[in-house]
Amino acid sequence: MSRASARLGAPRLGANVMGLALLPSALFFALFFFLPIGLMAVMSFLTGNPVVMPNVVATTRHYERILDDPYYFEVMWTTVRIGLYTTVAALLLGYPLAHLMARVKSRSLHALLLMAVLMPMLTGIVVRTFAWMAILSDKGVANQILQALGFAPMQLMYNEFGIVLGLVHIYLPFMILTLTGVIGRIDERLEQAAQNLGASPLKAFCEVTLPLSVPGILAGSLLVFALAISAYVTPILMGGFQIMTLPILIYQQISANFNIGFAAALGMVLLVLSMVLVLAYNHILAAVSGQRDLA
Amino acid sequence: MSARIEIVGVSKSYDGAARAVDDIHMTIEPGEFFSLLGPSGCGKTTTLRMIAGFEMPSEGIIRVGGQDITRVPAHKRDMGMVFQNYALFPHRTVRENVAFGLRMRKMPRAAIAKKVDEALAMVALTGFEDRMPGQLSGGQQQRVALARAIVIEPRVLLCDEPLGALDKKLRQSMQFELKQLQKTLGVTLVFVTHDQEEALAMSDRIAVLSRGKVEQVGTPTEIYDRPATRFVADFIGETNLFRGELVGTDGAPALRVDGHLTLALPAADGLSGAISVGLRPEKVRLTPGGAGAQAQGTVESANFQGGHVLYRIALAGNRHVLAQSPNDGSGAPLAAGTPVSLGWTPADLVILKD
Ligand SMILES: Nc1ncnc2c1ncn2[C@@H]1O[C@H](COP(=O)(O)OP(=O)(O)O)[C@@H](O)[C@H]1O
Ligand SMILES: [Mg+2]
Repeated sequence: MSRASARLGAPRLGANVMGLALLPSALFFALFFFLPIGLMAVMSFLTGNPVVMPNVVATTRHYERILDDPYYFEVMWTTVRIGLYTTVAALLLGYPLAHLMARVKSRSLHALLLMAVLMPMLTGIVVRTFAWMAILSDKGVANQILQALGFAPMQLMYNEFGIVLGLVHIYLPFMILTLTGVIGRIDERLEQAAQNLGASPLKAFCEVTLPLSVPGILAGSLLVFALAISAYVTPILMGGFQIMTLPILIYQQISANFNIGFAAALGMVLLVLSMVLVLAYNHILAAVSGQRDLA
Repeated sequence: MSARIEIVGVSKSYDGAARAVDDIHMTIEPGEFFSLLGPSGCGKTTTLRMIAGFEMPSEGIIRVGGQDITRVPAHKRDMGMVFQNYALFPHRTVRENVAFGLRMRKMPRAAIAKKVDEALAMVALTGFEDRMPGQLSGGQQQRVALARAIVIEPRVLLCDEPLGALDKKLRQSMQFELKQLQKTLGVTLVFVTHDQEEALAMSDRIAVLSRGKVEQVGTPTEIYDRPATRFVADFIGETNLFRGELVGTDGAPALRVDGHLTLALPAADGLSGAISVGLRPEKVRLTPGGAGAQAQGTVESANFQGGHVLYRIALAGNRHVLAQSPNDGSGAPLAAGTPVSLGWTPADLVILKD
């Protein structure tokens, strides 16, 4: 090989090394992301499982079934609604705490807050959900206290409230950590500049920090929403099968009805649903904050 | 509409740590260009932030226009501030940045537009209204910050090292512009800088700070020619410091620095014990050879600086003195090793507090 071509080869080699480094993750995504979703998409258009049934044909009947029966729309809407409630609640609860964590001067107080936020994540979802059940069930701690104080017992779980509460508890740390990162990078002096120009502390926050933290609000909300609508354990345990969501429905189709094609179609619906909402949400917030689209 | 600022016995310590600002007293006159000068960490920013209302003094009172504002929140103080790194709102255009303070004052839209145009014209940024701060150079950002602060016609303008991030040329022209602007507006300006040349060039008066304390307050010439303390003499410009024992009589005091050097002092009262004096290099007259002046030495090095030459002169007893001679065009500087005699008048010696 001549020297010239060897020199020309050098940057190509660098690019190749980068390509090699990406290979594992590319493989991972291909195997565990695109392949399953592709298979799911194919399955949703087949009459059965081609692995166990020889005479499988293409069909759109799974989708027709979803479209024909208003029940499935209701389930979809319930799923989205629970996702929205969870996201809004996590945002409202998480933002002030994230703001405090990002702004607190004392290192020890910051460490303490971080521990408090992370601690629940060290316990498994099932354990935490059972703890909520012990508190919220009809004869649980909350209702016993209510009764002891002379109030009528309340239905605190086996409904959407219970599910949302459980989901918020689980996904709040994701919201807080995402927001803290973004708010922490906003220069505090911007708010002070606003105050110096006559804005009250609240006004300064609304004019400066809030719009600048939109990327964090967006990222945190998308994360929590995506996690909430695909959650499965908490809606089952806290909802006690009284509330039907898409993941529960899909599970039932697979485990009880062995209808993999229909489950795949429902899965596709969940996927498309979340993608549409993510895009819409991104669009709206970007328009509101006057910033470029972020995703 | 400009106001007097009185700082009375103000101290500040951050959560129990040593005092960042320690019992400061000063009065800043209406319409004055007043600089807080000192090395990094001496408490300049802290003092300015207390005037602006972003920090609460641990002790003391701050009055503006005769009114005690120590406990008035920042947004009700009606002061303009230019932050160290400008703190422009990155998500708003130049126009929106400048209009912000007027909008907070609920001024009608048309009036805001007019005032913003005027302010931007004043800082020569007409035509940049719709840019975002990120699309501006450092100097332009600095001027937007200035326009944003002056457009509200504040009683007091506070600037924290506003020119610190600019390159030297731009800095000098901005120094001039800022000074002009301040005179035109007649606003009281408190200017923080660690750059002594900048402070000397721009200020009506300067407060020199060190470790949270005021070392001296005075006009640039007072600060330079009559430094009150060793710190001020050393910090502002070059200076030769001598320390020794007081000898001689009341009528003709002198300072015995060591066995080789005794300096005649200007007549002064109340001198006793160990004393420090300062002597500016440009007050030292050099004569080649010669005898009979205040001291003799040899040239150790000559540093040609264009307009003048800075000599380092070795004296007996392993002592050095800096001497600065104007470049009068008479040829090359004195060569190293040249014997010289050094002359000055006793009045050039400034007696310094420690
Ligand atoms: N927010 C703060 N918390 C704790 N210490 C601070 C804070 N701000 C400043 N200090 C300390 O106070 C002293 C003075 O700081 P500052 O006023 O910023 O000095 P300068 O502006 O003159 O450089 C420094 O020792 C600095 O470390
Ligand atoms: Mg500072």
